[in-house]
Amino acid sequence: MKKRILVCDDEEPIRLLLNESLQDSYEVVEASNGRDALSLAAKEHFDLIIMDIKMPNVHGLEAIERIRTRNDSIPIIICSAYRSMEDDIVVKTSNISAFMTKPIDIKTLKARIFELIGT
Amino acid sequence: MKKQTLLLLRFVLILATILLMAYSKSGLDIASPGYVVALLYLLTNLTLYFIPETRFSRPFITFGVFLVDVVAISVAIFLTQGMQTDFYLIYFLIIFIAAVGQDIRGSILIAIVACALYGWLLYRANPGVSIFNSAILIRIPFLFIVALISSYWSTEMRRQLKSKKELETFAHKLEDEVTRITEKETELRRYSETVINSVASGVIAVRGDGTITTVNPEAARVMGCKQDKLTGSNIEEIGGLAVLWQKMKKSIEANKPLERLQISIKNTKNKTIPIGLSVSPMTSSNAKFSGCVGILRDLSEVKELEEKLKHAERLSYLGKMASWIAHEIRNPLTAIDGFSQLLAHTENKKKIKTFSDEIHKGAKRINHIIEDILTFARTKPRVKASDIDLHKLMTQITETIPNVKFSIKGDENPIIVGEEESLKSLFTNIINNSIDAMDKNPMLVIDFHKRKQWVVTEIIDNGKGITEEDLKKLFTPFFTTKSRGTGLGLAIVKKIVDDHSGKLEIESEEGKGTTCRIYLLKKEK
Repeated sequence: MKKRILVCDDEEPIRLLLNESLQDSYEVVEASNGRDALSLAAKEHFDLIIMDIKMPNVHGLEAIERIRTRNDSIPIIICSAYRSMEDDIVVKTSNISAFMTKPIDIKTLKARIFELIGT
Repeated sequence: MKKQTLLLLRFVLILATILLMAYSKSGLDIASPGYVVALLYLLTNLTLYFIPETRFSRPFITFGVFLVDVVAISVAIFLTQGMQTDFYLIYFLIIFIAAVGQDIRGSILIAIVACALYGWLLYRANPGVSIFNSAILIRIPFLFIVALISSYWSTEMRRQLKSKKELETFAHKLEDEVTRITEKETELRRYSETVINSVASGVIAVRGDGTITTVNPEAARVMGCKQDKLTGSNIEEIGGLAVLWQKMKKSIEANKPLERLQISIKNTKNKTIPIGLSVSPMTSSNAKFSGCVGILRDLSEVKELEEKLKHAERLSYLGKMASWIAHEIRNPLTAIDGFSQLLAHTENKKKIKTFSDEIHKGAKRINHIIEDILTFARTKPRVKASDIDLHKLMTQITETIPNVKFSIKGDENPIIVGEEESLKSLFTNIINNSIDAMDKNPMLVIDFHKRKQWVVTEIIDNGKGITEEDLKKLFTPFFTTKSRGTGLGLAIVKKIVDDHSGKLEIESEEGKGTTCRIYLLKKEK
């Protein structure tokens, strides 16, 4: 059975890209905003979460903080277009597995996911 | 009468009495009782010497003294048997002195006493003498006449003296008053000078002909000249102050104040100084006081701070812009980069098409972002003036937007002069913002009407409205309330409106909707 990854990004092309890139090895579930991501994470089991930061309906950082209150072990990778000082603080306090700045290199992302959860 | 004067006159009287006694008909030998009289007489004078000065102002004291004199003389005449001699002349002297020393009543009383005593002496020396005897008929009335004349004369003298004294007192008072007023005036002048000199702003008063009448230290500092050098000189002759004088003259001529002007002057040290200026005209019937007063404030520091602030704002914009570009460009860039990588590893035609489309969309989006940046960063308006029918333009724009009801009404011929592409971008941005603000049944009313030189386009939505706080920041670049907004839309709208020399108004009420009013110059016929 494939491991499950939750991809949360408000940009439809990015979600499509990640889905296309990872679907061979993982089961990819998409969420277009923080609220949907929280609701999916609460209902279903995921092995890893890929999260954007700037999103409508619950900001990425807020979503991460809330996910961490329930599950402090799930690997989270942030894929954001811009890394601010505020993001740095969350990365340090919320046990983030990786912070990848867009444009992301698919190979590097895949390698990092493999390191974290295998296949 | 003063004590010293009275005593002196009495000495003269005593001396005259002794002399007349000595040369009287009976002569005066050393054992004569006349000497006793003279001695006693002298003693009264010595006694008077010890009486305090103030007592002499009392009328009965002086009257008593003169009474003693009359009695003493009468006794002397009696003793020397000088009734028929010139001894009686002493009475005239006493009456005269009494008239000087007291009022008319006192001198008449003395004259009466003198007449009675002398009459009695004459009668005693010549019993049965007729009243028509020349000695009685002439001498006694004469005593009264002398008393009256000398009283009149002394009263007149006293009156004149009193007037003179009053005049002198008045003159002194006047002098004191003048001194007091002069001191007060000097004090007031010093006070107003201190007030003007203490004002932190520059104060300069100029007459209608340009003569500087007052200048305080701050104004002198701004003008780079000493205060005393500026006072009295003509403002027209001071190079660099032409703009200042021009504004002051304008205020004088119009007799109206000019407020909160910002001008630059070149001071005498050839330094350009930005100043804030308010001018008030001074009108008076006296040309000396007509002119104006200017309050000036050195804005050098303020301008410097403004420049620093602008610089800081520019840096802040730059930072925000960098972050914005990163956000906006890296997403489509990720898509282009990622899909191109996937493209290399797929042979599925459907997927190839999807990936190519995504690459194309990403490229288009990047181009759109660049267009936005260029529009926002453009310093010169790019208005290729052509006649634009806003009604037609709006129809074109709304036709491309699905799922929204539009109601376009009002003036059917709203022609303006402008640049079509920019105006398309302007209206599209506003309409998109309105659509984003409406959740269900989006309905937009677009109304055109003409007002004075403007064609006014009203775009009215029934959306959630804008908060008062957000309204203030609406046109600030990179400010957005939308999670996916770039924050440049309304800043670009504002820029396009400015490029077209137009106006933009936004009215909004939370929960009720927003009205956006765009004023563009209508085409002149």
